[in-house]
Amino acid sequence: MRSAPPLRWAAVAVLATGCTLAASESAPVASSAWTSRAIPEARGEMRVGPDGTRTAVRYKGWTTRDFGAFRTYAYDDARPEPAVQKTAMPGGFAGDAKKGRALFLDRQKAPCTGCHLVPGDDVWPAGSVGPDLSTLGDRRLPDAYLYQQLWDPRVTFPATVMPPWGAQGIFTPEEIIHLVAYLQTLHGPPPPEKDADRNPFTRRRSAGFGDNLDPTNNPAVIRAEEAQALWNARGPKGKACADCHAGGSKTAMRGVATRYPRVVAEHGRVMSLEDFLGVHGEATTGRALPLESDANLDVTLLIKMASDGMPVAVDTASPAARAAIERGKATFYRRVGQRNHACADCHTPERGANKFLGGRWLADVTEGLTRHFPTWRTDRNEVWDMRKRFQWCMTPLGANMLAADAVEYAELELFLTTFDVGKPITAPGIRH
Amino acid sequence: MTQPITRRSALGRLGAVSVAVAAGTLGVSARAHAQASSQALGLQETVQDGLKRVFGGRPMKDGTALIKLDIPPIAENGAVVPVSVEVNAPMTPASYVKNIWIVADKNRIPIVARATLTPEAGQAFVGANIRLGETTDVRAIVEQSDGTLLTARREVKVTVGGCGG
Amino acid sequence: MSDVGKIRIRVPSAVKAGDVVRVRCLVIHPMERIERDAQGKILDRNYNYITRVTATYLGKPVATFDLTQSVSENPAFSFALKATAPGPVKVTFVDTHGGKYEGTADIAFA
Repeated sequence: MRSAPPLRWAAVAVLATGCTLAASESAPVASSAWTSRAIPEARGEMRVGPDGTRTAVRYKGWTTRDFGAFRTYAYDDARPEPAVQKTAMPGGFAGDAKKGRALFLDRQKAPCTGCHLVPGDDVWPAGSVGPDLSTLGDRRLPDAYLYQQLWDPRVTFPATVMPPWGAQGIFTPEEIIHLVAYLQTLHGPPPPEKDADRNPFTRRRSAGFGDNLDPTNNPAVIRAEEAQALWNARGPKGKACADCHAGGSKTAMRGVATRYPRVVAEHGRVMSLEDFLGVHGEATTGRALPLESDANLDVTLLIKMASDGMPVAVDTASPAARAAIERGKATFYRRVGQRNHACADCHTPERGANKFLGGRWLADVTEGLTRHFPTWRTDRNEVWDMRKRFQWCMTPLGANMLAADAVEYAELELFLTTFDVGKPITAPGIRH
Repeated sequence: MTQPITRRSALGRLGAVSVAVAAGTLGVSARAHAQASSQALGLQETVQDGLKRVFGGRPMKDGTALIKLDIPPIAENGAVVPVSVEVNAPMTPASYVKNIWIVADKNRIPIVARATLTPEAGQAFVGANIRLGETTDVRAIVEQSDGTLLTARREVKVTVGGCGG
Repeated sequence: MSDVGKIRIRVPSAVKAGDVVRVRCLVIHPMERIERDAQGKILDRNYNYITRVTATYLGKPVATFDLTQSVSENPAFSFALKATAPGPVKVTFVDTHGGKYEGTADIAFA
């Protein structure tokens, strides 16, 4: 695993010189400079209680924990990655292997099985991002070495994607001692595998959810089709989308989605379709289409479906686009949150991509991951756009989310979209 | 993953959109609807109790040779698990597949659904998207018009958790 | 402006007399699941879910599904019919709140 390229330092340099400029084509517009047009749950806001405790304003059912102590994607968040911590194993305390095993499997913690296979019929589903630990005890590594590895593995492996569990306060010293005791009990030979699917190295891939464009299979297609009524309906200003974009959305919007996200000179920033509708809908028809509202998602789907089958053709040549893509790439490699993870840690083939993280197959960014967004999520019976997907990732990473229409997210999305160039749009998708 | 467009158009045309017909108030509460009769559905019970209630002690033949129970061996989530049942048996007025039950052993409501067919169906084939609470065996129980019961089962592992949500 | 009750039905296009064809349909519906309180006790209320799907062809039933809350939200269903003449396939959904939703698709012969 190679270390991250130095591009994020380039982004900081640009920020340092660009801050005093008015919003121009090559300087990034930090989140705080853009007034979010997202619904309240999607703005990345904090609520401060009378006793000073901060809770995050988030979507229903999402954690409201404040991860403010940890680095975010915000361009003006200049905090460095957490320092690498060398430590010594506390003495005079015997680890309990049984407690250690429970911690290893505990979903509230990591779980460690997300990346590492260990023996047991109850281990479902373990991942293959990290090495199989089923016989780790045979290596007779010193307890202190294992303790340091769990406390902060960067001491031994500087380029690792494994989080610094102890240094970041996810596991306590006592818990790590229990984990070490458990790991030392793992001796070979491992029991014969009764079930090839239990083992992530031999597990079958999921079959997916079938034809994403078939409305008898994907509810999002029905949602979008029904939104044609919204397209035709007059807003408070007495105008409808259809008034300027005549002939039905399928004809009027043909090809439009292939060019997004793009630099919108009028607003001095990169915008996705969702971002643009957040401003454009109200400006023209008077009907607000806030980011992450059903209306915004449905109209985005309508517009994107008008380009189904057409190759993605975002601008990657102009100076403004190139600068934005570089910043997006820096964000992709930027480590954030309590877990100290970057997108690249899971989604590049050199690191976690094309492996199982728990039961989830990690997608490879180089294959192009944006052209089926917005996508139906079967697990949630919701349409998710790319921004909600970014915001969700913040939850396991332990980082506060930015507003859905944050410039940081838009430029990250543009970087991801460069891998879809030339490939046919096929929205809405249908996924877990 | 996505299917190629050619396959979808080969499946045929789409029908007309729905008309929501405002009905009178059926006003049936979930509790009242689920009487403890043998044919009642929607009851929370163990699968053993459910099978006993619906089928009594009636013998069930091994239907693996005749029943094609199509269900993913690993479900990405328990919310939408597509299942289809196809029975290689006649569909004539003299002999036809009358009922197909879908059962999920570990569900709180293990008798998931029942399909009732007529000979006009032409083929004993049904499909539905079901919910699974956890890794479980899923069974198809087929009743023919002469009362014969056949059954087949498959294990479905349900994936839980993960950073993808 | 809810989409609940919106239906899509797919039938094959060029059908010949005597063909056994498969029909697939999807209905937008919450199929509400049983909720429990923090102690795990079931919240007793009238959950809204589809209890019955009736599919007819040329006015005669071909398949009926009796459903429970173990069926997915926005459920899709498939069934077969023996095509004897051009004509309508009608699918009707009935839920516990008195909702009744109908969709129709035409079997057309080649």
